[in-house]
Amino acid sequence: MSDLKEAEHQNTSESSDQGEFLEENAPGESENPMLIASDSYENLNYEILDGTSTAQRQTPNTESNETSTGEESNNEEQTETANDVAKKKQEIVPVEEDHDDVNSEHWRSQSKHIFILSEAGKPIYSRHGSEDKLVTIMGVMQALVSFVGDAKDSLRCMIAGDHKFVFLVRDHLLLVGVSSGMDSTHQILLQLTYVYNQVISVLTQSTLCKIFKQRRNYDLRRMLSGAEKFFDNLINLMDSEPGLLLGAVRCLPLDGSVREIIAQSIVQHAKIKDLVFGLIITNNQLIALVRIKKYYLHPMDLHLIMNLVNASESFKTAESWTPLCLPKFDSSGFLQAHISYLDDSCNTCLLLLTVDRESFFTLSDCKSKIKERLLKYNALRAISDSLQKTAYGIQQCGINDLRHFLYKSKSTAQYTSPELEAPYVTQKEKDRLFGLYKYLHHRIHTSGRPLKILFHVGPYETLLGWVTQGFELYAVFGPLVTKTSAIHAVNKLLRWIKREEDRLFILNSVTF
Amino acid sequence: MSGNKVDIKVVLLGKSYAGKTCLVERYLHERFNGETVPYQNTIGAAFGAKKVDVNGKKIVLGIWDTAGSERYESMSRIYYRNAKAAILCFDLTDKSSFDRIRFWIGELQTHEEACKIYICATKKDIIDADPNTRDVNEKEAQALAKDVMAELYETSSKTGENINELFMAIAQYYLETVKTTEVKEDMIYLNEVKKRLPCSCKST
Ligand SMILES: Nc1nc2c(ncn2[C@@H]2O[C@H](COP(=O)(O)OP(=O)(O)O)[C@@H](O)[C@H]2O)c(=O)[nH]1
Ligand SMILES: [Mg+2]
Repeated sequence: MSDLKEAEHQNTSESSDQGEFLEENAPGESENPMLIASDSYENLNYEILDGTSTAQRQTPNTESNETSTGEESNNEEQTETANDVAKKKQEIVPVEEDHDDVNSEHWRSQSKHIFILSEAGKPIYSRHGSEDKLVTIMGVMQALVSFVGDAKDSLRCMIAGDHKFVFLVRDHLLLVGVSSGMDSTHQILLQLTYVYNQVISVLTQSTLCKIFKQRRNYDLRRMLSGAEKFFDNLINLMDSEPGLLLGAVRCLPLDGSVREIIAQSIVQHAKIKDLVFGLIITNNQLIALVRIKKYYLHPMDLHLIMNLVNASESFKTAESWTPLCLPKFDSSGFLQAHISYLDDSCNTCLLLLTVDRESFFTLSDCKSKIKERLLKYNALRAISDSLQKTAYGIQQCGINDLRHFLYKSKSTAQYTSPELEAPYVTQKEKDRLFGLYKYLHHRIHTSGRPLKILFHVGPYETLLGWVTQGFELYAVFGPLVTKTSAIHAVNKLLRWIKREEDRLFILNSVTF
Repeated sequence: MSGNKVDIKVVLLGKSYAGKTCLVERYLHERFNGETVPYQNTIGAAFGAKKVDVNGKKIVLGIWDTAGSERYESMSRIYYRNAKAAILCFDLTDKSSFDRIRFWIGELQTHEEACKIYICATKKDIIDADPNTRDVNEKEAQALAKDVMAELYETSSKTGENINELFMAIAQYYLETVKTTEVKEDMIYLNEVKKRLPCSCKST
């Protein structure tokens, strides 16, 4: 990480000039999207800041930082107070009894920790270790936040050694992320927002607030029991699935005609009063989404849906009927979800989301009919074929020296990227690649100037980030590529994506 | 599975980990994965159906396996409403699960009077293998069952003990009561009709 930082001083060039690519033609663009064009990273964070009521002293700091040399800018966010308390904290921890999780090497060596605690300091969740044993450390966190809060200020971040501590206060909950990895403060904040939304998704915001208004000291674990796996799974997902970072969803590559059949099957057989969304997903990828005309789905909500399905084995054995809150759609209430798998191997999952709690059997019939039609037109076969073969390798793009990329179409909130290939096959290398993307993403979004293109030469690879009105592109090249040839290459890549856009993106929004 | 094909709605209630899902799995699919698969808590509720033959009559049981977690409690009515039978499960090795079924008895008695209650003591194989693991006094369970006029079954999803018997009893009881109420309805129609009205409104 420090290698990267050092190298960057000599080897990064930022520019606001445009590439040659014509913006009107951004691949995967659609005038008729089905997902809410996801907030760019900045918007999302702006929203987070809005949410945390009190002083926002640090914000201008980051925003106006002209030099924007990445991670270092976070150091400047450190307030005096944060420094003081950080020191205090380091003193406190070793004094703790030694059977405590906090002192185990295993626990300490985790590169990311996420904690949820109540405003009163009661432990609710910890990604690693048992939250029960972490009462003391959570108490310290709560004390830090309320200490700074007392001074009409709010604690957002502190740095201790190579660890970043990021704090988010929302509706009686305190969420804390601690990372020693590549994540920027903003990125950790985004992850905490996801975790908060996951809480809302199982409880609703109104229930959460009601509970704590009645009893400040309530042990929220009672309400969340059985939901721990959603948090674990979500946090793992955020470390492996770029979609959450990008605010975009990946679609299963399929021929446009097959997609049409699938969407029409839902439209034809699930056109039911009060049904809001009908969707089919597989393995964290979207296959089809049909919606009521006036409602759109937010990619953040869609990620939570995918997480729900991913983390629950129990949907595989029987048709399920469960309340589900989509925080971006309506954080105050539940939708009722009919969830079932369409294939015997339990890869393809159908979700029918309704506001009618009595419609299970109606939706169950819909499901049978949808399945029948998908079988009749061989669509389930096409899905499993697509799942079995790798989506596409980087060679297929036919661009020398390009190793990997992430391409997000902003208007449709969808992204595409090739399969991971050598050298990014071991867990360590995969993590390193994702770290590079986080770095690039952070740099391009939090620079003082509105960056369009960022070219960065690292020790093992060269990175090119390019953000326009229509898309975000993050490309990873071999180490010897020049800026001109990289720009030339991504232009070629954009043309390739454009040619493939029907297969890689869902361009048509289908409504009931 | 269409709703109108279901003759009897059966709902399973009880603390999570009490053994509801295993009970249903054993009954519907004749399997028990408890030894190989780690615990998977149910999300919301899961539906399954089974056709049974009672004295030559074919009856479809529609079975709702619920999650049992506290956060769904306020919404649990959508799962037990109009149920003809409720199986309240408790784990013989966990007293707290037994205490929990009183809550469900209360719920059912206030909202679903017509629902027949079956109390099911699960994981019998464990206490058979090691009597020291028993955490719920047999007499106490019987007393509670008698109190609420419920039948008590001790089952094991591992061995399958008593599980078919439990569901068979539900189906049989249903057949008997359908007959008798049909007859009764004819007889007492005139004087009972006014009294019955509020009741039927309640359950819609
Ligand atoms: N030995 C034994 N274990 C059981 C039995 N029934 C359930 N279990 C175990 O108890 C745990 C909870 O069971 P489950 O049916 O999922 O509980 P639920 O939450 O009420 O649905 C699982 O780990 C099962 O393996 C049983 O009859 N015998
Ligand atoms: Mg269960």
